[in-house]
Amino acid sequence: MFRSLSLAAAIALAAAASPVLAETRSSVTIASPWEVASYDPAVAGFTIQKLQIMENLVDADATGALRPGLATQWAASEDGLTWEFTLRQGVRFHDGSAFDADAAVLALTRAWGQPGVLQKAPITQITAKEGKVVVTLDAPFTALPAFLAHATTIIPAPAAFDAEGKPVALIGTGAFAVSAFTPPQSISLMRNDAYWGEKAKLETATYLAAGRAETRALLAESGDADIVFTLDAAGYSHLSHVETVETSAVPIPRVVALKVNAAHPFFNDPKARQALSLAIPRDGIARAITRFPEAAADQLFPPALNRWHSAKIEPLQTDIEAAKALLADLGWVPGDDGVLTRDGERFAITLRTFPDRPELPLIAAALQDQWRDIGIELEVSVASYSEIPAGHQDGSLHVALYARNYGLTPDPIGSVLQDFGPGGGDWGAMGWENQKVVDALKVIASTSDQELRQANIATVANLLQQELPVIPVVWYQHTVSIDKNLEGVVIDPLQRSYGLSEMYWAKD
Amino acid sequence: MQQTNAIQSPHAQTRLPKQPIAKVLGFGLVTGLAIAAIGGPDLIGVDPAKQSLLATLSPPSLTHPLGTDHLGRDMAARLLSGAQLSLSLALLSVLTAGLPGTILGVTSAWFGGWTDRLLGAFADAVLAMPGLLLVLMLAAIAPGSWWALYAGISLTLWVEYFRYTRQRARIILADPSVEASRLLGLGPWLLVRRHLIPEIGPGLLTIAAFGAATAVTAVAALGFVNVGVRPPTAEWGVMMTELLPYWREAPFLILQPVACLVITVLALHLSVGGLRRS
Amino acid sequence: MAHYFKSVLTVLAARGLQAIIVSVIVGIVSFAMMQALPGDAAFRIAAGRYGYDMMDAAAAEAVRLELGLDAPWFVQLWGWLGQLAQFDLGNSLVYGTPVVDEIATQLGYSLLLAGGAVAASLMIALPVGIATGLNPNSLLDRICMGLSIFLRAVPAFALGVVLVLIFAVQLKLFPVAGFRGIENLILPSFTLGIGLAAVSNRVVRDAVVDAMNSDWQLFARTKGLSARLTLTRHVLRNAALPVVTYVGVQLAYLIEGVVIVETVFAWPGIGHALVHAIFGRDIAMVQGTALTLGLLYVALNLCVDLACRGIDPRERAL
Repeated sequence: MFRSLSLAAAIALAAAASPVLAETRSSVTIASPWEVASYDPAVAGFTIQKLQIMENLVDADATGALRPGLATQWAASEDGLTWEFTLRQGVRFHDGSAFDADAAVLALTRAWGQPGVLQKAPITQITAKEGKVVVTLDAPFTALPAFLAHATTIIPAPAAFDAEGKPVALIGTGAFAVSAFTPPQSISLMRNDAYWGEKAKLETATYLAAGRAETRALLAESGDADIVFTLDAAGYSHLSHVETVETSAVPIPRVVALKVNAAHPFFNDPKARQALSLAIPRDGIARAITRFPEAAADQLFPPALNRWHSAKIEPLQTDIEAAKALLADLGWVPGDDGVLTRDGERFAITLRTFPDRPELPLIAAALQDQWRDIGIELEVSVASYSEIPAGHQDGSLHVALYARNYGLTPDPIGSVLQDFGPGGGDWGAMGWENQKVVDALKVIASTSDQELRQANIATVANLLQQELPVIPVVWYQHTVSIDKNLEGVVIDPLQRSYGLSEMYWAKD
Repeated sequence: MQQTNAIQSPHAQTRLPKQPIAKVLGFGLVTGLAIAAIGGPDLIGVDPAKQSLLATLSPPSLTHPLGTDHLGRDMAARLLSGAQLSLSLALLSVLTAGLPGTILGVTSAWFGGWTDRLLGAFADAVLAMPGLLLVLMLAAIAPGSWWALYAGISLTLWVEYFRYTRQRARIILADPSVEASRLLGLGPWLLVRRHLIPEIGPGLLTIAAFGAATAVTAVAALGFVNVGVRPPTAEWGVMMTELLPYWREAPFLILQPVACLVITVLALHLSVGGLRRS
Repeated sequence: MAHYFKSVLTVLAARGLQAIIVSVIVGIVSFAMMQALPGDAAFRIAAGRYGYDMMDAAAAEAVRLELGLDAPWFVQLWGWLGQLAQFDLGNSLVYGTPVVDEIATQLGYSLLLAGGAVAASLMIALPVGIATGLNPNSLLDRICMGLSIFLRAVPAFALGVVLVLIFAVQLKLFPVAGFRGIENLILPSFTLGIGLAAVSNRVVRDAVVDAMNSDWQLFARTKGLSARLTLTRHVLRNAALPVVTYVGVQLAYLIEGVVIVETVFAWPGIGHALVHAIFGRDIAMVQGTALTLGLLYVALNLCVDLACRGIDPRERAL
């Protein structure tokens, strides 16, 4: 305690004494909402990956197309059950130790043993053979390389683990190495001069986790942070009028969706779910709450998922009268207090959502008000998001509002399979299963024939649109504010990287 | 009577000049707040939960005299609805924290010895438990329940009254004038009335008037860490949290619940001052 | 003087005993409360670890297995007490890092902020309180009263963003957030300090008014001491007692109650950590933090006691 106190004081003095600015700046400060308090890739992998501290075997570009990372090439055997990843030579970790197949296997085996994407793939073994990483499967799975691009499959150095295999340090192969770590708020980075790829232009960078959107907007406005990610609607509107920064909004494959318990007697008819969908004021929500009017979700998959989004699909509408008519068809009659009743049961349900994304409780309140008009009494429960999977498991859930990211891996098949595959998923269908969808997903997951894949994707998207096991509400934008003098900023719609290594300061 | 007057401590003798205007203003404001709290949104006949997503954050107008919030709800109706909840809960928390705190404080100072030590240790034990932990736990045990939230807040606030009363009462009871009164065989009630109330009362009332504000801002604080928020409830503290994101675009919105709270504390303070002097 | 030291020793012994009792009580009570919380702990811990994009029922089951959450409560409590006896607070259930390490870093920052806040509040409350106390019911007194009411009713987060807007964005005097240096401490300290001063300046004022009206003040003046000497020697000394006690209480609230200011200013403090630990059902972290705060509180009380004894001779006799 005293040590850290004197440490804090020492930092304070050092900072107070340090000279102001050199001529061309060589450092940036990034602010984002996500706190980092762990060394564990399974927990903090997203931030570690975005800051280019650690890297994956497989990388992806902004469109989601895979490209070599720490592996230079990969191939599946004829039967699709064995994958071989050839590793890049001459790569060193930040501590100077060599990156090799053993290091990769150690990291991947650990990731596979933790809750995460690898457990969703049909993996039976991960081994090192002749300097290559070999992954064996018990069923063909074409998305495996995409899974190895996921944030929880980054490769820490063997030295990053202690004797019991617990992660205790942030040592990777990336373009930046960690120089100081103050959980949960900040990470200081310095350029890795021994990086195998193109070296970073900046010398140092600081990552600051600022949980409140108001703080981040002020950081951007004052220039304390040079690049700020994930602004709230109000902050974004304000910053677009601020001279010193440029704002940018990139559509991302994340969607606010409403999960409906299709096994519940109120919702087991697709008509009931369609009625709910017709009574969602998507336009109002997109205009007033998220403030990107074009992002009202008229289908589940957002435009950012260009292979899954379809222009041909019949868009979802908002029509209160049609919703009322559908519910009347199902035998619901308005009671004295305006709430629908059927067989003596009131249409009173609870919606579960969580506050970690501030727009969710607001959207829930909007639904509450709108659904009151069609005679549904909605109680909104704002609590831990774990209540949603918990309610899915014990069957007590009615409806849940959440944000689902279909871009976790460059190929969304993993998430879609989890959500709409056999038995549904914690963050997907509940009490709903459709054999046609299950079959189509199986084909998508195992075929490498692009046309066949595309045809099956269309089948899945159409069926989801008709049956609505999950009702889309709005799509997300990744909002960023950037200092006007900072150049080379690339915003990754898949949010795999902050693009630190390519940024540089314009000369004055 | 003559005798007691002669040895009365000088504090009680300092008569402050009467301020009828402040007193009238104070009682007037309290009455106004009471009417607002009892009548609620029915007073203006507007539904505080009715939204209009196409008319959000609008400035005051004829249809919406105080403007609309971030979901296009009428601010006036929401503030009135909030008055019901906030005022009753503020009153409740002041009473539940203030009464036991004061009584235990006087008891502790009066009897001294083991009573004092035990009560002091109890207060210390409560304070030693992080208050935040108690409040958050109670809020988590009964999610969405205002009563649990306020029980937690009272539980952490009573110690303030206790410690203040104990500290002051100890000194007063050790005062020669009080000892003299005791020697004269005056009953405990008279002592309390003559010496303790005039000495401790003003400070306690100040703490209580501010305590009402503390209770409402505590709810705002909890809302800030996402506890106790359950739409579409209108409560002043919750409204402060909800309207914070719009502080640049529509600063007049977040100022409204704050202004309501200022008026409440001011009203309490003025009428308390009036009570004290009359 | 010997009498004074004896009384100090008694206080030390009493507080030492209290420290032990507090650790046991805090440990058991916080454990009991964590057990009483509704909802499945495995789901909450998994949520705290993996985030909403990665957390699902399978992750929760893995957590349950890993942490042995199925074990009966007394086995878990015994395990914790056993560890505690060896001065081991265990590892955070969510982050996997040793609880001691997390607390060590965060407590340092929290103490820094609490100290800054008290300093800021005294800087405001003392001059204002003494000035108004010496002129009760003057115009100045009323204006200060009105201001106090207003500042007390403004929630800390709103005050914080307004201070940032003025002093960081417009005047560029201080940084907005973070903790790179001493300049980062100013705005959060004053955000907290102003809120504290809104109450404590009234406490100071009332104490000064009382002291001014007291017998010994009259006596001191009659015996020929100058107004200035009376003020410094008698009035302020007597007024200090309730103020010191009050500041002690405030500090206790501060160290853990600063979560809002910590969040607004992205300050890595212990209040923030405690809130996250409760939400994430990080029992080891909650217990470790509660224990630390409890002991800190005992230490703080000791300081207040000793300070009171130093100021007021009557206290020594009690």
